[in-house]
Amino acid sequence: MSYFSEYKDLIEEGDLALVWISRDNIKPITIDAKETFNTRYGSFPHTQMIGKPYGSQIAIRTKGSNKFAFIHVLQPTPELWTTSLPHRTQIVYTPDSSYIMQRMNCGPTTRVIEAGTGSGSFSHAFARSVSHLFSYEFHEVRYQQALKEFEHHGLINRDKTVTLTQRDVCANGFAIRPDDITSHKFGEIEEQLSINANAIFLDLPAPWDAIPHLEGVISKDEKVSLCCFSPCIEQVDKTIEAMEKEGWTEIQMVGIQGKQYESRRQMIRTLDDAIERLRDVKKRKSDGMERRKRLCDSVLNDDETKATDEKRPQTEKTRFNPFGKGSRVKEGDINYKWKEVTKVESEVKSHTSYLTFASKIINKDRNERTVKTLLEELEKK
Amino acid sequence: MNPNKRLGFNQHVILRLPSNNFKIVELKPDGSISLGKFGAFYTNDIVGYPLGTTFEIYYDGSYEPDEKNKNRTPIGKVRVMNTGIDQSDLESTPTPLPMELTNKMSSATNKELINIGNEIQGMTMEEIESLKKQSATHAEIISKMIESHGSFHKKTVYSQEKYLNRKKQKFSKFFTAEYLSSSAMLQFLLEKGDVQRVMDLSQESIGMLLNLGNIRSNGQYLCVDETGGLLVYAMLERMFGGQTSSALEDVGSIVVIHENEHPNLDLLKFSNYSDQFIKNHVKAISLLDFFEPPIMEEVKQAFKPLSKEEISSLKSGKKNAYYRRLKWYNTQLQTIELSKHVEYDGLIIASTLHLPTLVRKLGRKVHGSRPIVCYSQFKETLLELTHVLYKDLNYLAPSIYETRCRPFQSIRGKLHPLMTMRGGGGYLMWCHRVIPAPDPPTNLETTNGNGTDININSNGTNGNDTENDANGMEKNSHGDATAPEMNKKQKTR
Repeated sequence: MSYFSEYKDLIEEGDLALVWISRDNIKPITIDAKETFNTRYGSFPHTQMIGKPYGSQIAIRTKGSNKFAFIHVLQPTPELWTTSLPHRTQIVYTPDSSYIMQRMNCGPTTRVIEAGTGSGSFSHAFARSVSHLFSYEFHEVRYQQALKEFEHHGLINRDKTVTLTQRDVCANGFAIRPDDITSHKFGEIEEQLSINANAIFLDLPAPWDAIPHLEGVISKDEKVSLCCFSPCIEQVDKTIEAMEKEGWTEIQMVGIQGKQYESRRQMIRTLDDAIERLRDVKKRKSDGMERRKRLCDSVLNDDETKATDEKRPQTEKTRFNPFGKGSRVKEGDINYKWKEVTKVESEVKSHTSYLTFASKIINKDRNERTVKTLLEELEKK
Repeated sequence: MNPNKRLGFNQHVILRLPSNNFKIVELKPDGSISLGKFGAFYTNDIVGYPLGTTFEIYYDGSYEPDEKNKNRTPIGKVRVMNTGIDQSDLESTPTPLPMELTNKMSSATNKELINIGNEIQGMTMEEIESLKKQSATHAEIISKMIESHGSFHKKTVYSQEKYLNRKKQKFSKFFTAEYLSSSAMLQFLLEKGDVQRVMDLSQESIGMLLNLGNIRSNGQYLCVDETGGLLVYAMLERMFGGQTSSALEDVGSIVVIHENEHPNLDLLKFSNYSDQFIKNHVKAISLLDFFEPPIMEEVKQAFKPLSKEEISSLKSGKKNAYYRRLKWYNTQLQTIELSKHVEYDGLIIASTLHLPTLVRKLGRKVHGSRPIVCYSQFKETLLELTHVLYKDLNYLAPSIYETRCRPFQSIRGKLHPLMTMRGGGGYLMWCHRVIPAPDPPTNLETTNGNGTDININSNGTNGNDTENDANGMEKNSHGDATAPEMNKKQKTR
């Protein structure tokens, strides 16, 4: 069981946990009683976290200013990991990865090939749901980083759901043998790892070079799904060419657009209030003008006593200010009326990549004898 | 034979027809299935082939017409077709010209083409019908129709392809037998016009809901499903993938909370999980029972299970009554247990009930750090929900998500988004259940030595009073730049 595949109750020594500081700031930590998690708001000793249930808010008073500060400690999930992981490459985000998994019907019977591994964002999501994931990365440093990370997360040794291999699949295909650089531990008589994939995800610059190598490693007696992930339409064109040439059918390309909305409030400002406010302004203005006129008249009439008598009245603050003009009103202030509204996030991922799907059944035969036996068995019942 | 890979007897599968309509059928041994104008076939003829195979129905003239029922579709023979049929095949064929058009004249433009309607087709309806009766293949019929078409050569080659594909949709007799995935079931319902029944769900929204909800085979999930069981089916598929082996017997389950006396999980009748399997992994409980469970003492007082010896000594009439009562007793015990459980691994909701009350009441039963995902056809209902959850310290960073899939015409050299697509698809609210901390003491140095322990007897306020930190940390569940004043403080994003 890994930190990703087991539902944990309490935060324990040695756990991989995610510290949620804010939406854009989620940090992975390994719980260690001797350690302290430092933020610019204050320090959070791990001892404060150990023994508490996952999801606990950990609060402190900052030294000096004595202000309240807090974090939340969460158990990692692939989706949270996607938002917190160290980027080694461009990553596949949840709207794309979730659609691909649903469309390829990923579940406990799926055996997936993924190339390349990249930052391992999608690998975590696959690993959660599928029977086995064969992930390939051609970049040596990225392979080493991913290997370390997957081992640490328990995906390779504890869950045994992931096999990571260093390989340029475009040049050398997908077969895994004992002399390859791979996380798989070969047995003495094992000559080649059986892959039998029924779902393939290719996130490569030139998937058309990898497609011809698939034939030998995909399941032969069932429908196999393929998805290629490419940002350019020219890549899609070349991918479709390779798919058609290699006998893949049901080719369809789609684009996924994910959006996130902020929940906001807009002040309700009625027309009547606006008119009332203008009326109020106008009245105060005319009051002032009358006073000035009287002052002017008295000066013209040389009536000095009168002029000095009338004191300049205190300028009153607006009596009617329904919208809080001039003062800073916090969104949602209970003294005002608000309409709940949504606003799309200020920067949208308007294009991630095109997803080109296809499928293939290598062996379209049936075993007549099996069908006959099945029928006979059913008749007996 | 693996029912996840190959067509098996007594299995529900989904058939895709040339018209791109769907049909869910059960493959009964020795049975036959009629597809209307697309023909009919014997189930025994397709069992054993891989799921996803496309079959062509053909008639070699050897069948005998049904004397009693002339309208009945004659049952033909099947053969495996080598290319799959799909959207792209039907809408337009790949760049190399289709066989049927290779020897045909075409025009560079449609300048010469004048639309005179049906008159242009030399063949009459009767002639085409009689061809069909003579069990001609669709290729023969279409080829005759092209020959008799008055201005076929005046069409552009693109328009000829379109014509060809329209006719193929009409006269072809083939079908693809697919695995009944949750996406396929959704497509079937949408195609049938049951958009309202599934609350306007889209494939991409289901997928995102399952991932955001972190659905795995070992979780205990709380679920409210108003889609007639589609959501529960999607969860089951993600959790068990059609496997019903005993190895999985003790793992995850879904507790379905329903607002009527009985749950509506009608669509599960199409699933290939056994009744026993569903009973073990899907437990239904009404809102009333969930929030006001039966009282253990009363249940125990009302019924006492007997020992084996006592049961065997009962008379048969009494025995039946006993077992009925025993069933009631066990259901009551299960209800009590499910409602007491407060550590669910996720809350998944697709409901039209008032969400702020529903989510907050069910949310109490969710373990810390576990996700809550709420689907709604409308953004506004989720908006109201997020505003309520923001103020509640038990929920972390609720936000609204939308995902839309845009399909393309996927032909080389002619790639472009489809001209029309389905609108809608709904919205998702995602947040995590969290456990608020009591306020820490104000002065750490004087209260205790190391100055880090949380003092429960804090003098600060807690609850919904938001107390801002000058550093930009706010004691509420925003966790993000959602309020304008926080936007100013947070430099990132």
